[in-house]
Amino acid sequence: MSPTEIHQLNLGPITAHAFNKDRSQVAICPNNNEVHVYQKSGKGWNLIHALVEHDKLVTSIDWAPESNQLVTCSQDRNAYVWTFDSVTNKWKPTLVLLRINRAATFVRWSPNENKFAVASGARCIAICYFDEENDWWTSKHLKKPIRSTVLSLDWHPNNVLLAAGCADFKARVFSAFVKGVDQKPPPTPWGDKLPFNTICGEFSNDSSGWIHSVSFSPSGDALAFSGHDSQICIVYAGGESQNIIRTTSLPYLSLLWITEEKLIAAGHDCVPVLFEKQGQLWKFSKVIDVGKKKVVTEATAFNKFQGWDSKGIREGSKETELNTIHQNTITSIRPYQGSRNDISYISSSGIDGKLVVWDLK
Amino acid sequence: MSYRSTDVDILDEDQLFQHELFTFAGGSELEPDVALKNVQAKGVDVRNFLTRGNTEKALTTAIENPPYGSNTTDAKDQNTKIVMEVLNSLKATDVSSIVKNLTLDQQDILMKYIYRGMASPELYNSAVLLNWHEKLTEVAGVGCIVRVTTDRRTV
Amino acid sequence: MPFVSNTLRPYLAAVRSTLTAVLCLENFSSQVVERHNKPEVEARSSPEIVLNPLTISRNENEKVLIEPSVNSIRISIKIKQADEIEGILCHKFTRFMMLRAENFIILRRKPINGYDISFLITNFHMEQMYKHKLVDFIIQFMEEVDKEISEMKLSLNARARIVAESYLSQLTQTCELIPGHKRNFSNFNFLNKSKVLSYRNFRISEQG
Repeated sequence: MSPTEIHQLNLGPITAHAFNKDRSQVAICPNNNEVHVYQKSGKGWNLIHALVEHDKLVTSIDWAPESNQLVTCSQDRNAYVWTFDSVTNKWKPTLVLLRINRAATFVRWSPNENKFAVASGARCIAICYFDEENDWWTSKHLKKPIRSTVLSLDWHPNNVLLAAGCADFKARVFSAFVKGVDQKPPPTPWGDKLPFNTICGEFSNDSSGWIHSVSFSPSGDALAFSGHDSQICIVYAGGESQNIIRTTSLPYLSLLWITEEKLIAAGHDCVPVLFEKQGQLWKFSKVIDVGKKKVVTEATAFNKFQGWDSKGIREGSKETELNTIHQNTITSIRPYQGSRNDISYISSSGIDGKLVVWDLK
Repeated sequence: MSYRSTDVDILDEDQLFQHELFTFAGGSELEPDVALKNVQAKGVDVRNFLTRGNTEKALTTAIENPPYGSNTTDAKDQNTKIVMEVLNSLKATDVSSIVKNLTLDQQDILMKYIYRGMASPELYNSAVLLNWHEKLTEVAGVGCIVRVTTDRRTV
Repeated sequence: MPFVSNTLRPYLAAVRSTLTAVLCLENFSSQVVERHNKPEVEARSSPEIVLNPLTISRNENEKVLIEPSVNSIRISIKIKQADEIEGILCHKFTRFMMLRAENFIILRRKPINGYDISFLITNFHMEQMYKHKLVDFIIQFMEEVDKEISEMKLSLNARARIVAESYLSQLTQTCELIPGHKRNFSNFNFLNKSKVLSYRNFRISEQG
């Protein structure tokens, strides 16, 4: 599994990234209040637009593939929807009325792109839709029973259910059905009658870590979430038991299903990792990054100290760089190529400022 | 101007408070005396196993079902003492093999006790605990240490 | 007792693995005050984002307290002080560093109660620095501080000995020069003769 492309787009961290539909453009936040849009040219990327509207750090970006709209949210309690005006060749922002009084942490378009959900530190999730009457984006809040900052979101393919991972150690599935915008969805294993703000499921890890990432499986019948206690949990709708993978490595910040039986996780270990379902159990499968020195380890710090002790290198390791491609925590992985239930390429961005596209085959 | 001294934040019903964290995180409260009795009974079992030389069983008995709870301090202290006795009595060379045979749950609980023991160096032998820590980290990884910090059910 | 001989290596290994585990920080905006971003281990505004503290101790006199949270950690070190002189030296040395905490970047201006020196590492530091090098630095710091204090103590004792030698040699010198009379301190030529003599005495006593 070798990566196809590595791009150093920023000296500092990349807070968030999003590709457009044909992957010819990418929008990133270079750890400040701006959003930079890059155009692919040859093997590299050229900066074509800088979207400056937010006051504080932009925490999340999402690019709707069909309608070609960008949504960004920031620690300044605002979110903007950007539409591209091909006449003036500029992105035009539209303020979204989120009505939250704390930072926004995460944003995602729904599968049909008529709504988007914004997670915030105000202990609520704002489901935003376009109000035709008043010509603005307005929002409804999912509040109870969230007790702390919402860290991550994922939409179910039916455009109504939303999974949220929160710093109160719980992953929940909400119904985000908005009357007037959504059609009544067909029944799913998660529930039948689903008015707005119904809890279809509330799950947690036994070692109570903040839920950094939630992800629905390609069919939507299973939910995977990763917590700060270095555990990944997979629950099946309607099922009683949870599959808990207790890992020996550092916590994972981002999860992505690539097929119904395979899951990629990436986080503080700086490498994407594959988990597979074998029979009834989920197990760790392999590390996607083979590393430059052909040494696949999960605890590089530990090996270094062992080397220090056994070789007596008093100066410590001379190597400043890690032997993985990402030199610092990976914060976000997104599908790059392939259908929802068979993803062949993924893209990752992290605190080291690199954007890497991985070939999974 | 008394309204300025009102703490409006505590009136916010959504936020979590320290005292409810334990139950919110899934812990079940134990009565202090019940917990203490359980621990004392456990202590007797553990000493029996130790005198008979069954060190592995002694350790697993000592660390299973810790007296989690907000008010079970006495039971927790007593249980820690029992665990430390077991850890001190095991030979240094056996540590690696014993640790490998523990289940994942037991490894996590053992790590909690190692840190609890090191928090009172005047009571317990830190050198022994450091050796256990090293061997346990080799097997359970840094994930185990992360779980000790996140788990609100403390020993 | 098989472990008494060398606990330094497992002690540093334990600190290293614990630091690797807790240095998983992320940018977290304050839940209590809007548009603010504070190190939660200091602010302690919400209990669910502050984690359980861990202590790693080598013995009663040397331990490290690590307090983690979602976006920051605090590391407090208790340095070995075998006697009063080492205590004074340690206090002066750490005070010297803490007065210049800005240049140190991760140093805290005041140590936590019960400890000699404290570090505060936030997610912003993690964005600028490699995690494994930061952990290397803390471990190296812990080793070198002990060495520095021992060296300072040695050089302090050496200087004290030189001063005492030279002072007392003057007394014996003058007594020899003016036998039977009262000691006449005005004959002291401290700067020239005594220094050479005292140095010679010091060297002789060293070899002897």
